Amino acid sequence: MTLRRTASAAIVVFLALGAAVACFPIYMAVVNSFKTQGEMFESFVALPSKLHFENYAQAFEQVNLLRSTMNSVLLSLLGIGGILLCSSLAGYKLSRTKSRLSGFIFFLFISSMLVPFHSIMIPLTRMAKALQAQGSLFGLSLIYIGLGVNMAIFLYHGFVKSIPRELEESAHMDGCGELQTFFRIIFPLLMPITVTIAILDFLWIWNDFLLPLLMLTDMNQYTLILSTNTLFGEYNKEWSLILAALVLTALPVLIIFAFFQRFIMAGIAEGAVKG
Amino acid sequence: MSIKTNKSVWRLLAFVAPAFALYAISLLIPTIGGMYYSFTDWNGLKRTYGFIGFANFVDALTDDPDFVRSLWFTMKYVLYMVVLQNVIALLLAAFIETRRKSKAFFRTLFFMPNMISTIISAFIWTFVFTQVLPQLAERTMLTFLDQSWIGDPRVSFYSILIVSLWNGVGYMMIIYLAAMQGVPKSLQEAATIDGAGPFQTFVRVTLPMIAHALTICFFLTLNGAFKVFEAVYGLTGGGPGRSTQVITMNIYEEAFSNNFLYGYASAKSIILFVIVLIFTFLQIRVMKKREVEA
Amino acid sequence: MKTSWKTMLAGALAAVLLTGCGSNAAESGGASSGAASGETVAAKAVTLKMFVAIPRFKQQFDQYVEQFKAKMKAEKNIDLTVQMEMPTADTAPQILKTRLASNDAPDIFSLHAINEIPSFYKAGYLADLSGQPFTDKLLDSVKSSVSIDGKIVAVPLETLSWGYLYNKAIFAEHGLTPPATLSEMKTLTETLQAKGVTPFLLSYSESWIPQLVLPLAAGALINTENPDFIDRMNRDEGSFQELKAMFDIFDLINANGTDRALEVGGDDGAAAFAQGKAAMWLQGPWYADTILKSDPDFNFGVAALPVNNNPDATMINLSTSTSLAVSPDSKNKEIAIEFINYVLDDNDSNAFYESLKFNPLATVHTFDSFSWVNDATEYVKQGKSYQDPVIPQAVKDEVGKGLQSYYAGQMTQDDVLNALDRAWKNYNKVNQ
Repeated sequence: MTLRRTASAAIVVFLALGAAVACFPIYMAVVNSFKTQGEMFESFVALPSKLHFENYAQAFEQVNLLRSTMNSVLLSLLGIGGILLCSSLAGYKLSRTKSRLSGFIFFLFISSMLVPFHSIMIPLTRMAKALQAQGSLFGLSLIYIGLGVNMAIFLYHGFVKSIPRELEESAHMDGCGELQTFFRIIFPLLMPITVTIAILDFLWIWNDFLLPLLMLTDMNQYTLILSTNTLFGEYNKEWSLILAALVLTALPVLIIFAFFQRFIMAGIAEGAVKG
Repeated sequence: MSIKTNKSVWRLLAFVAPAFALYAISLLIPTIGGMYYSFTDWNGLKRTYGFIGFANFVDALTDDPDFVRSLWFTMKYVLYMVVLQNVIALLLAAFIETRRKSKAFFRTLFFMPNMISTIISAFIWTFVFTQVLPQLAERTMLTFLDQSWIGDPRVSFYSILIVSLWNGVGYMMIIYLAAMQGVPKSLQEAATIDGAGPFQTFVRVTLPMIAHALTICFFLTLNGAFKVFEAVYGLTGGGPGRSTQVITMNIYEEAFSNNFLYGYASAKSIILFVIVLIFTFLQIRVMKKREVEA
Repeated sequence: MKTSWKTMLAGALAAVLLTGCGSNAAESGGASSGAASGETVAAKAVTLKMFVAIPRFKQQFDQYVEQFKAKMKAEKNIDLTVQMEMPTADTAPQILKTRLASNDAPDIFSLHAINEIPSFYKAGYLADLSGQPFTDKLLDSVKSSVSIDGKIVAVPLETLSWGYLYNKAIFAEHGLTPPATLSEMKTLTETLQAKGVTPFLLSYSESWIPQLVLPLAAGALINTENPDFIDRMNRDEGSFQELKAMFDIFDLINANGTDRALEVGGDDGAAAFAQGKAAMWLQGPWYADTILKSDPDFNFGVAALPVNNNPDATMINLSTSTSLAVSPDSKNKEIAIEFINYVLDDNDSNAFYESLKFNPLATVHTFDSFSWVNDATEYVKQGKSYQDPVIPQAVKDEVGKGLQSYYAGQMTQDDVLNALDRAWKNYNKVNQ
């Protein structure tokens, strides 16, 4: 019994240490973002004597926070909305239709899941330019939809199998057309996997760096991550200011995380199991 | 019969059309485009280019010491990542699973770093590595903290590992936790009654039951590790010199610095793609077999 | 019923795609018509895309653009919108090259005159600006740096006269003057060490900083002993082994420098230098702004770097870096060229250049140079200066990375020199 106790205690200690390591950088970032530059160099670990919000005010301005956040939100909403709409339709139909064509199309979608972004980076920018999609958030969102549908279709495809066909058949008998059936009956049932996909794609699009960097030309269209990155390239490395900007950038995601924890974690687990 | 199949074909195509159109534009055509360019000598500063067959591929593997070095470096990184990330995630999941009250608390805490974008994590850790740790080393007795975490090539490998692990472990941990919850307690209790220690129970009972999760997590880690970019970009930029240059950074440098050899860079990214394909295929093959046996 | 939703879906998709394309098309359509006809009564709307990779001067640029917009409105009745893209220096080349290669060239873009004009010109990315009003105002010393093939292809913004920076207070305190030869430098270093002062500030985390040794050493050697080095390298007939001497000064600097060089970036270095952490810094006055932000009263000077024991080889490097060029494919070429001319405007250019803390480079610039520029000018007056040697950017990048590795003890001198030879050969292969 005592062995159990000590083992249990050891586990707690281990977890506590791990938690400390996990939180340490975040704690450092937050705590030091409230200090002045000089105060910071005296001791990084200490708590700030006074909460210097000026860093945040300055970061707010330099990162163009409101605008950048709005851009990120817009991009994410458009991207996710598009992905969900297109993928649910496609995944559903592909799963239900058992034909050579359907199998082939499905294969086409999945085969690219392993392709690294760098392989398509340049041809993609050329394509975007040809289609006039470059330099606009809207165009960028279309690209994200194109990039995100393959995984979403894969997940929808698997999930639809768990919905009995009788539901559609009875809906048809009641006189519903294909689309009606889909939106009224099937789509609501897809909610769990929809949430999963939405969350995973949100994390991806919101935090993405390289693609928006190459696509967006106007600084007014920069997403939050991009704006923060420009701060890092300035000639002056004022850490307390930079940290404030970094905290501001991470904040929206962390807030969403705080509210939707359960969903997020459940979603990831679901996604893995189905995959 | 034929009318019905025709209609159903149309229906299928219509449902699939929007997704497929955007997919073709964003992914399919560029992928094919990339493959095409890899056979040319297109560079960013010339408007015309010519077909040169497999020359790019041959050059990359025989006449490009930086690329080969980045290949080996990346493989080393992948090996460490796959092992460490999964071991740590498993350990955390197993330990958290034993808790009753603090489970949700620890789960949240360990998952939180995953929410932060990789590049932001890299920036925060740059601050910690270059400013905080040296000061800490001075003030306390922990002198081993006083390294040139980013500047010393021997140490920067581990710095990148640390950042990637910090950012990624939470994700795997969640998957493992969910999988472990699906293991019937009765089995574990039966094993304990039969005299098995906790470690044995874990290896003989729990692990086989979460084999599917293991396959998934290994796949995700493998795939992700080969493509690592942002962590390295934000932390060392591939430096000093090229000592921490992973494949993606080498490709990036080839395409966007040096002589802007897009064709050559495309060829290298195809090589990367093939390598990832081979490894993940092998990995899934091996682990799926294990799953069936369990 | 069945057909209607099909058409609905197709229609919806088409509409969605077209609106995305339409808005961008409308913009460029309006812009081209605006440039074509300038004499109509109604104001024409024109959009210019500018790509200027110096984000630290965003304010000054934005203001100057506003002035230009007002001028366009007043003189030509044009409503000008400017899309200003100001990426950081490390991502700028990538983004610019991507745009140029995808036929998405900005109307006006910045480039490094010495490093990038040759390759950009060969690729056809630079419009010919010869004969424009601004060319007459350029000082002769600067004209050649923005010309190629007898044509002027850019308006210079940043000109540099540099060698290394030194802390005038520390030098005065110990009665030192900038050395004229390598052995004098050695003695000076020893003197400083004996007095407990770190001679050199090292900041090698950004590869372009250790790279600075190359133009200085190469420039010095080329202009004294090896005049046709560049030509021979361009013909695959030379080798960097001829410039091995550059390691002499590099080794001396590294042996007497601050710690943890590979973790210190340029701006951290500037702050440290301003705080007196070292007496000298192998760097150019482009960091003046940053240094003075740390300490507005800091007194520093520019001196020529000795690379060997030949005092005639100790010279100042004259270079032109950031310059603005126009894309020959620009749909608003006339307006873009207007802006280029405006950069050296008779009335407004003076204030602009002064606010940027750049050096005067045209006849219209009357503001006083900074004290360190006067230091450099002294050398120039004595004939101890040279034009920055035209070394391909790819080779310069290779030097930066190579010297970082060398400093970290991972490459030997020969490794670095071989890598440089390879880099130049590859450059030649690609840029016939």
